[in-house]
Amino acid sequence: MHKVTSTSSLGPGGLDLTQSFFKPIQNTAPPSPTKRHTKISVIGVGNVGMAIAQTILTQDLADELALVDAVKDKLRGEMLDLQHAAAFLPRTQILSSTDYSVTAGSDLCIVTAGARQNPGESRLNLLQRNVGLFKKIIPPLAQLSPDAILLIVSNPVDVLTYVAWKLSGFPSNRVIGSGTNLDSSRFRFLIADHLDVNAQDVQAYIVGEHGDSSVALWSSISVGGVPILSFLEKQQISCEKETLERIHKEVVGSAYEVISLKGYTSWAIGYSVANLAFSILRNQRKIHPVTVMANGFHGIEAAGGGGEVGEVFLSLPALLGRGGALAVTNVHMTEEEAQRLRDSAKTLLELQRQLDLEV
Amino acid sequence: MHKVPSASSLGPGGLDLTQSFFTPIQNTAPPSSTKGHTKISVIGVGNVGMAIAQTILTQDLADELALVDAVKDKLRGEMLDLQHAAAFLPRTKILSSIDYSVTARSDLCIVTAGARQNPGESRLNLLQRNVGLFKKIIPPLAQLSPDAILLIVSNPVDVLTYVAWKLSGFPSNRVIGSGTNLDSSRFRFLIADHIDVNAQDVQAYIVGEHGDSSVALWSSISVGGVPVVSYLEKQQIPCEKETLERIHKEVVGSAYEVIRLKGYTSWAIGYSAANLAFSILRNQRKIHPVTVLANGFYGIGPGAGGGEVFLSLPALLGRGGALAVTNVHMTEEEAQRLRDSAKTLLELQRQLEI
Repeated sequence: MHKVTSTSSLGPGGLDLTQSFFKPIQNTAPPSPTKRHTKISVIGVGNVGMAIAQTILTQDLADELALVDAVKDKLRGEMLDLQHAAAFLPRTQILSSTDYSVTAGSDLCIVTAGARQNPGESRLNLLQRNVGLFKKIIPPLAQLSPDAILLIVSNPVDVLTYVAWKLSGFPSNRVIGSGTNLDSSRFRFLIADHLDVNAQDVQAYIVGEHGDSSVALWSSISVGGVPILSFLEKQQISCEKETLERIHKEVVGSAYEVISLKGYTSWAIGYSVANLAFSILRNQRKIHPVTVMANGFHGIEAAGGGGEVGEVFLSLPALLGRGGALAVTNVHMTEEEAQRLRDSAKTLLELQRQLDLEV
Repeated sequence: MHKVPSASSLGPGGLDLTQSFFTPIQNTAPPSSTKGHTKISVIGVGNVGMAIAQTILTQDLADELALVDAVKDKLRGEMLDLQHAAAFLPRTKILSSIDYSVTARSDLCIVTAGARQNPGESRLNLLQRNVGLFKKIIPPLAQLSPDAILLIVSNPVDVLTYVAWKLSGFPSNRVIGSGTNLDSSRFRFLIADHIDVNAQDVQAYIVGEHGDSSVALWSSISVGGVPVVSYLEKQQIPCEKETLERIHKEVVGSAYEVIRLKGYTSWAIGYSAANLAFSILRNQRKIHPVTVLANGFYGIGPGAGGGEVFLSLPALLGRGGALAVTNVHMTEEEAQRLRDSAKTLLELQRQLEI
């Protein structure tokens, strides 16, 4: 039975319409166990979490949506605001609680919770604070939904995806970070807008660390199947390295631009994550640049072997489906691009090494 | 040509890929003028305006979306945040400007801009301030999109819909207020959740003034076609008037509850307005309880001295706007409360300087 609100005016003590309103059909079998019931949990109901939750709701991606946060009133207010739209949406059960039990049995858990950087705070310090937060979030999530896919959005997303993997005990294919999926969307938008074509016809990946040192894979950009760089060469249109750097910087800068203008970003990351949720839950086997365990791919050393090399998570073009990250595509990279990727990995490993992950 | 940002890195001065990237097809005729190109303008990019804009975008209701506000930075930030999702959405042109010229030739203009009530401020004073704001918003909107439908969301919505109608010079069928569309949705949700059915199977209208004195039409509530009140009578289930009042109060109170808990409401009104936009632009001829010119319906007559009044009634919406008002059954008591609503609104309007 789906009873979300406890209203005093309808129900026992108020007006009880349930008595004989419907006549049940006798001897009904319960729904078959293979019947699809998709549950998504969103942890953190700030601007990002709510943009994600609302987009998921509008795109009808789940039968059940659970919201979790530490602030009770805000959490309940957001839940009610979504529930009040019931007349305009397909029926979705919307729940919320400060208690993680509400997330039990999730197919997908999206974590957006995270401390904000204090002025003058070092990145390592912010990271350590977020690790502290994840120690409270990830273990109960993983325990209550042992088969779920974890999708980490909180920043810095690459290291926090690694942290979530460690704390959850999940196989690495089931712990993914939103990574450079949105950076790549902004990249594709810039190129598409310039060429006046649909952004979905532009294939362009930004990979590596989600942040200032992300790697734009210029050598594999194509529009309607036409590889751009070789096209430019054939047309003898000169293309300076500095120009490409500037375009890449513009992509990286556009997030900061939105933050400086409206205070935060929300809508684009909302669509980006809903896009990933759809690919995963509906087994689309689409390729997305997302944070995955990168060891063994594109020249990033495999972990273990008694050496110093640890596991590292960063964005690579990955095939996503119901089982999570299924494969990494062997996209072509120039030696320079591959080197920058390995440098990214080194930086992240160094950061991870300094973290205290003891639970 | 759809050129939204002025990217210095791509284009003249930067990397210009346009040269010969595509070979145009010669002698193409321009698109026929009847080719559907839907443009929606949203005035005000606060929480409500942006929830409406984003829902419209997600539901793919428009080819072009224009945002207007007075605060430049916030406006540009919101526009960029929507544009950055281009890879995940059907192609929609998204524009923004503090200048109303960006709204020209809209099919639908949604006004969410409005002053917030200062502590201790009288309702009349707040209203007069919003009238001042509308004098800057409505005339250019109407002038630049003379065939548009105006959808007013700003509160108090009924009086402001009247004001928008006066200031625009539009025929009354093209000036609509979001009215009690959302109140009715909350009402339907409460009932549906209690009975555990889909809210879309619950037909229940709240009409009249959008606010504390709205009128719940109990006599016409039905679930899957079964009228609730007469059903209760047949089942001999007692239904006290006080109980019905309490349920209604809970609906009215739920908006205040959300505001108290999260500071404002946004998502539900976003879906509500997008729902109205769809019915209008796709000529759905669906019945919605929205703010319309109410004179001549349900015994609401003109008051002394030409008193036109706008309040929510179940109205048939389509591409031409509000096409008709349904003759839903009302008890004499419900009709009287509706007429009382009208009187209150007329009194308020009379004191305004438009």
